[in-house]
Amino acid sequence: MCYHAFKRMCLALLCVVAVTVALRAQDQKEIKGIVSGPDGQPLAGVSVFIKGKSVGATSNDKGAFSLKAGANDVLIFSSANAETQEIAVGNKNVITISLKQKVADLGDVVVVGYGKNSRKTLVTTVTSLKPEDLNKGAITDVGQLLQGKVPGLNITASGDPNKPAAVTLRGASTINSPGGPFYVIDGIPGADISTIAPDDIASIDVLKDAAATAIYGNRASNGVIMVTTKRAKKGAAQVTYGGYVGAEKVSSQLHVMNADQLRSFVATNNQSLSTNDDKGANTNWLKELERPTAISTNHNIGLSQGSDHGSFNASLNYVKKQGIIQNSDLTRVIARLGVEQYTLNDKLRLGLNVTNSYSNGNDVPYLGVMLQQAAKYLPVSPVKNPDGTYFEDFSLTNYYNPVAMMNNSQMNNKINNLIGSATAHAILPFGLTYDLVLSYQNSSTLHGEYYNSYFTNNYNNLYNNPDPGAVGKTQQVFGKNGQAVRSSYQNTSKVLETFVTWNRKFGNHSVNAVLGYSWQDNINNDGFQVNTFNFPVDNVAYNNFALSAPYAYATPRISFGPDGLYQQTRLISDFFRVNYNYKEKYMLQGSVRRDGSSVFGTNNQWGYFPSIGGAWRISQENFMKNQHLINDLKLRASYGETGNALGFNAYTSQYFSGVLGTFYYNGVQTSAYGPTQAANPDLKWEKTAMANIGLDFSLLKNLVNVSLDVYNKNTTNMIFAYKVDPILVPSGTITANGGSINNKGIELTLNATPVRKRNFTWNTSLNLAHNVNKITSLNNPNFAPIDSIPVADPEGAGQTGIFLQALKAGYPIGQFYTWQYAGKDGNNMSQFIDRNGKTTLNPALADRAYLGNAQPKLLIGWSNNFKYKNFDLNVFFRGVLGNKIFDATRADLFRPGTATTANILADAKGEALTDMSYKYSTRFIENGSYVRLDNATLGYNFKLQTPYIKSLRVYASGNNLLVITKYKGIDPEITQGGIAPGVDYNNFYPKTRTFLMGVNVAF
Amino acid sequence: MKKIINHIFIGTLCVVGLASCHKLEVPITSELTPAVFPQNPTQFASVAGAPYAAFRGPFSLDYWFLQELTTDEAILPARGGNWFDPGNGYNNLHYHNWTQDNGWINSAWSSLSRVVGSTNQALDILKTTMPEGDSKKSTLAELKTLRALTYFMFMDLYGSVEIDTSSTDFTPHANVPRTTVFNFIETEIKSALPYLAPVSGNLYYGRVNKYTAYALLAKMYLNAEYYTGTARYNECIAACDSVINSGLYAVEPRSSYLQMFYPNNGPQMKEFIFAVPNDPSATPYPGTNGMMYHARYDLNRNLGIRYSYSGSTAGSNVDPVMNQTTGGGLVNSKPSGPESTLPEFYAYFKADANDIRGKQWLRGPQYWPDGTPIMVKASTKGGTSGYDATYQGADAGQSYTYPLYIYDTLTFRTDPNSGANPSVFDLGNDEIAWNMGIRNIKFYPDNTNATNRNQNNDVPVFRYSDIILMKAEAELRGGTTTQGQDPLTLVNMIRSNRTTSPAWTSVALEDLYQERCREFTWETWHRNDMIRFGKFENAYGFKTDVDPKHRVFPIPASALGLNPNLKQAYY
Repeated sequence: MCYHAFKRMCLALLCVVAVTVALRAQDQKEIKGIVSGPDGQPLAGVSVFIKGKSVGATSNDKGAFSLKAGANDVLIFSSANAETQEIAVGNKNVITISLKQKVADLGDVVVVGYGKNSRKTLVTTVTSLKPEDLNKGAITDVGQLLQGKVPGLNITASGDPNKPAAVTLRGASTINSPGGPFYVIDGIPGADISTIAPDDIASIDVLKDAAATAIYGNRASNGVIMVTTKRAKKGAAQVTYGGYVGAEKVSSQLHVMNADQLRSFVATNNQSLSTNDDKGANTNWLKELERPTAISTNHNIGLSQGSDHGSFNASLNYVKKQGIIQNSDLTRVIARLGVEQYTLNDKLRLGLNVTNSYSNGNDVPYLGVMLQQAAKYLPVSPVKNPDGTYFEDFSLTNYYNPVAMMNNSQMNNKINNLIGSATAHAILPFGLTYDLVLSYQNSSTLHGEYYNSYFTNNYNNLYNNPDPGAVGKTQQVFGKNGQAVRSSYQNTSKVLETFVTWNRKFGNHSVNAVLGYSWQDNINNDGFQVNTFNFPVDNVAYNNFALSAPYAYATPRISFGPDGLYQQTRLISDFFRVNYNYKEKYMLQGSVRRDGSSVFGTNNQWGYFPSIGGAWRISQENFMKNQHLINDLKLRASYGETGNALGFNAYTSQYFSGVLGTFYYNGVQTSAYGPTQAANPDLKWEKTAMANIGLDFSLLKNLVNVSLDVYNKNTTNMIFAYKVDPILVPSGTITANGGSINNKGIELTLNATPVRKRNFTWNTSLNLAHNVNKITSLNNPNFAPIDSIPVADPEGAGQTGIFLQALKAGYPIGQFYTWQYAGKDGNNMSQFIDRNGKTTLNPALADRAYLGNAQPKLLIGWSNNFKYKNFDLNVFFRGVLGNKIFDATRADLFRPGTATTANILADAKGEALTDMSYKYSTRFIENGSYVRLDNATLGYNFKLQTPYIKSLRVYASGNNLLVITKYKGIDPEITQGGIAPGVDYNNFYPKTRTFLMGVNVAF
Repeated sequence: MKKIINHIFIGTLCVVGLASCHKLEVPITSELTPAVFPQNPTQFASVAGAPYAAFRGPFSLDYWFLQELTTDEAILPARGGNWFDPGNGYNNLHYHNWTQDNGWINSAWSSLSRVVGSTNQALDILKTTMPEGDSKKSTLAELKTLRALTYFMFMDLYGSVEIDTSSTDFTPHANVPRTTVFNFIETEIKSALPYLAPVSGNLYYGRVNKYTAYALLAKMYLNAEYYTGTARYNECIAACDSVINSGLYAVEPRSSYLQMFYPNNGPQMKEFIFAVPNDPSATPYPGTNGMMYHARYDLNRNLGIRYSYSGSTAGSNVDPVMNQTTGGGLVNSKPSGPESTLPEFYAYFKADANDIRGKQWLRGPQYWPDGTPIMVKASTKGGTSGYDATYQGADAGQSYTYPLYIYDTLTFRTDPNSGANPSVFDLGNDEIAWNMGIRNIKFYPDNTNATNRNQNNDVPVFRYSDIILMKAEAELRGGTTTQGQDPLTLVNMIRSNRTTSPAWTSVALEDLYQERCREFTWETWHRNDMIRFGKFENAYGFKTDVDPKHRVFPIPASALGLNPNLKQAYY
């Protein structure tokens, strides 16, 4: 097969070279013609090719084309903005054709699980995006491509390029590591989305309601995103190139005091800076960590060719992206090859696809600590001493030169992702088709970290600074004289999916039924980790562990990373779906998936996930025929159940033995063994039931298209670790089901074309989403009731254990639980409201209250596309309204009392020295609403009179051009995923603005 | 219905031709699953060891505090706010006015629960994995007896408790009456007895053997009248006889009585029937303390060097004045030293200067081994944390060197500067306060462990002398004398190995009580004895409470929170 593919590729290359070679034409005649658009004007750039042959032409700006064809040939006319049309040549020598306007969305085909569906007859809620709809910019993460484009998809990205965006669909469905949606790439379930280059995406379909997602059973609770990659079009061979160069600059960062501000602040308080620290410098520590400009480059080459009996497409993507923080960058190469071949008189189509993505990323370890140090390191100290060594002042605790930290440590990740799949599609009698997809995925990570002898000898016992969540800071112990960490893990996944489809029409009745089976086996974290230390030199870093001498010291010697990483899971499913419609007027859909997963307890391995939906196209009714305002009107309703099988260890339901202390046995202390984890044979999936009602309508000949959806989503049997009587489970906790959470919301999408003139069109698209999230219970009848679970402990000095949020029934995820600030008293001291409603200077823990929440009331995406002659301009705004952010970053830099040893925000200059103004309270809960001019792209399409180049487009694009917000931190886009959303902590990562120039050429 | 859908599915899939594979099981190759562990005798032993590791957890800490600090044997007062711990309520344990929120009442319950839970797990694992045979029978019997002993401790402390015997049933069980718990324990021991090992020695040291079971039975029957209302003294005597007649145990002579509790004790102790082996190198069972550090609480803080406490050394430049700043190399790893006995309890030792057991106390002037007095240099003569907070002389600010003296009497004092306050059980924070209270060094400070305060002393649960004295008491309480061993013979069998004073000529119950006080000091039996002898409601120390419901502790708040079916039975 490989050989075959190689041969095809070589052939394709030959075709490119030979594209200018004159077409041999026996029995062929010259055909000329004019193509015009729906408005009667000549249409340029329409590709005209002969069906089944790789011969074609493109219309010029007068709409004219010419090519040679035989009388039996059929010409195919296709263009991005018009419906594809076919015309038989026959005895014609001149062909004049007027292409019809492409019917907007409603006429499109939507990719659903195990099949496709026309949007007309769709009963479920699916948002489809074409490549032109996706976000532009130097983006390597798919989450960011979709940001603001899909109503109900809440995506937050930090400035950190190596942190994937957090994606939540229609509100968090669980408190058990609320995860992102389930990705299906070209029919391969659970494929790693990072293997796909943005340039290779042909369409993205976001399945939102349970009737759409239930076909993916116990993995579908967080929604399903179907990604379809580009395929060769039938007809002409094509070579494309796309590339850009981008430049990133810091757009916003923390405003800590500079040296002069700090000196004068300290002086007004009759304090002084130590001469150990004040060396007359004025250092902007955050700036010292950054690059002045970070450059990104991207190149994408695509080759494809399609015929009636087969096709191939190949692409190669190279991207190199510098992080705005020094020493961080990403280089990625993705190669794809897809081949399809028909056989058995075209009754059987076989396909082979291979994608390999290799990325090499350099990162800064302990970035959170480093950024925090940069914020608080005194600006009066220099980066380096006069002798060239790094400046340090170890007389201050937890005080490290961030530049020295950065330059004395390194971290690297090499990730290789391979996806291979073989497909077969057979056309059987009686309207049956049969599909088989076999896929294999392998993802391997080679990780290295090195802390050189300067780092390990000076920064031992530093506390890490993780993102807010359930786990707080932990002290890091390094070995002496350099410490290296090396790990290599791989994940593999084997999937077999097979299904039979029956598609029949009986008069006005159409039936489409799918029956299938799916088998999947995953092995995760197959590999190892080693930590060692005591190196004779620092240069070898993590590249030669044999040079380390860890046994020279009693501790910490060698360690092997976390226990229990290796996990194997198996998923087996049977699924069935039937769609029925009568005259494309009344639609019904029912589906059921029987899902089995090895991760669940033996009593509950199998579950059924049903769904039902219906739609009524009111516009097809006779009483609608006589009006011309509404050209399509559809009412949809659906209900379905899905599950979540993620967020816990694959073997959670089983018991294992491990060391449980030591005991005296026959004269020696001997390790005792016993269950370290209780078995829970009843462990089952989290169930999410969702009801959805939707309305789609198009007005004024599709000039305005509107979709409105209302949903109610209930998750029950939420999985988390319950406290349990140690007489039943000595470890004191058991992972079990219980608790529930509800999301209700409304989503609106509006597409309109306010202006459609010959030389100018304006297309606008607005989407709005509102969601209300509420935890309805945390209890399981078998175990002790849980009042609340505290989360988000930023551990500001003196405030360890003061959590900012609580998970509690009746409140949403992201509910702040803190003190209420009551302004300053006459002595400029901070007051708080106690539980009796009185003001106090020293509030007790019990005085905290539920105040404000991190979830937004409204998400907005608004995109505008203007076309003027050969220019096009896309302007995209994105907004989040009604959310609160706990600015713990600000709180922790609001400590005037310690300004002689740690820098503070310039804003804190009015605070009293002895005031606990930094105390976490509503003072630091801020309005997180913002509207961002996320992207503006200006393009120019050249009209070329050359047979060599089919199209040429150049463009310039700017990201994050403007933010309107009252938020005082770096940027209001604070992660809204996970169990502790909306806490600004460690989010010092500078926000950037990107400008890029790019080109797209097709040959 | 589910089944029908199932059949339809699978039936239809046969047509598709791929229905055959619906097997979800994946091999687990990376963990100690029941399929691969345990499989051989060493592994079986390591599984049976987990309950012992758990048992060690509370024994010298949570369990000890509840059994001793509630009696006249031990008290842990505050010193200028130090050791005033409202959560753990050492004062409440003394006053008998504890609540269900008391920290030690909570942690003892959860620690004992953990022992039962881990025993249930080990039993369930070994039941299914060990090959049938004598070894399996005796291992299961051993663990069931350990669980019975744990339930005995549970029942003794809390009266009514829940009974759980399965590691796979997560249903929260209700607590049952004390008599039901008693009967459960008795049945369990009796069913285990035939299979228990009738041997002592290295292999069974620190483990439950046949005579541990008999000793436990004896303890049950001796207290049966109190626990259940039914006296069973003859059964107590029979159980004691089973131990006596085994010939495996003997009374330790006077010359080595004290050494029985030293850090180097172990399997060679011929009085130990069942002991908790402690070792500074031992790793605790997860969630338990598992350490033995009596000296931390018991040793006066000026005696660190004298007893080589946790790395305390006199150094190269020995100047035998404590607390001075100039003595080069002098390291006094100070024990916390808040715990002492009450003078009324020490009174039982006062009468007989020949009794070796009197040597376990530290009182009065203290000396270096060579006989010279231990001098202590206080930073100031007056002042809150100086020698005497009440001293007002002109030299109050001067340093002051005094000979160390441990006072019998504990006096609550007021010192507004240190926060000392009689109402909060406080002696004050000066040297005088810290030197109040007779200290116990029965579990002799571990001078072999220089790195931490965890001691190597094994702690007996059942000793042979207890068997002898239990038998004597059962006979005195109406049981029938057997084997010619009347109470006086039995008591003198002990006394002749403890004192050079003349043997007793008569013995009454009160004599026996006092003998037990001398013999089992610090061994967790005194609360049980006080209750049985009707002395728990007496006024002692600063306590005046007389409410007999305090003979048991409330079911703690944390347990009530974890198990909704538990109900307070006595409170």
